[in-house]
Amino acid sequence: MDGWRRALAALLVLAALAPVFGWAAGQVGYAEPLENAAEATGATDDATASGTAPLPDYGVPGLGSATGTFVSAVVGTALTLLIAVGLGRLLGTDDPS
Amino acid sequence: MHIPDGYVDLPIALLCGALAVAVLAVAARRVDGEVPDARAPLLGVVAAGIFAAQMLNWPIPGGTSAHFVGGAFAAIMLGPHLGALAVATVVVIQALVFGDGGLVALGANVFNMAVIEVYVGYGVYRLLAPSGEFRAAFAAGWLGITAGALTAGVQLGLSSAFEYQLVTTLAIMGVGHLLLGLVEGAITAVVYRYLARARPDLCPTATQEVSA
Repeated sequence: MDGWRRALAALLVLAALAPVFGWAAGQVGYAEPLENAAEATGATDDATASGTAPLPDYGVPGLGSATGTFVSAVVGTALTLLIAVGLGRLLGTDDPS
Repeated sequence: MHIPDGYVDLPIALLCGALAVAVLAVAARRVDGEVPDARAPLLGVVAAGIFAAQMLNWPIPGGTSAHFVGGAFAAIMLGPHLGALAVATVVVIQALVFGDGGLVALGANVFNMAVIEVYVGYGVYRLLAPSGEFRAAFAAGWLGITAGALTAGVQLGLSSAFEYQLVTTLAIMGVGHLLLGLVEGAITAVVYRYLARARPDLCPTATQEVSA
């Protein structure tokens, strides 16, 4: 159980760092090679947002950017943890089914 | 590296989606019934760690930034099949919950990050591990992300939005990620070495790896 607790603490630290990194990346202007390639070929305007995501762009509608990023990090990390553990149990050796 | 909708032509998106589903189905069959109870939490923690780490955009002076993708890291920690399933879980949640990567392009994104990066990263790791695990993990992260970026470059370069400028998309994606991949390789190697020392019981050389 101790390892479990340390793992959860490490995940929480990563989530808490998300708004800090978000701010820092904003300072230099976030641009991946994918965006550079889109600019070079004139594809940028073709990108469409799905508009169906409940937490678009890792933000929470109505919350500030840092708070929204932190909430998104916690929600996304917890959701990933639950689903992946569930997947592991489904593929497990002692699955009763 | 998350391709939004509108960038990749529909036939390419569908083809990559079908390939990704096929590979993940084989991966799931390979490990079905082979995941010890004690390993399910590790799958969860590695996947969750990759989700959280992908939110950390490393600002790089000159106006680019990149984030850790973690495909090779997942492959080294979990083996390639569970690693692919872990990264696919992350990429699907990113698209459905956060709109990061398109829904039509989801198959292409899963293919690039959860299939290509994971299996190429794992292959590089296995190839180089005899000459040192640290450098093998570094090369796996570095070349795994570059391979994923190159397949993304092919998908984009064969699409109308990018005016079929395959050479341009391959050059920008390939060279860009070859440089940014040094960060990926460094994180992969440092975190793997830390975990191998702190929890040798969790690392694959110490466990019965589900055969590749």
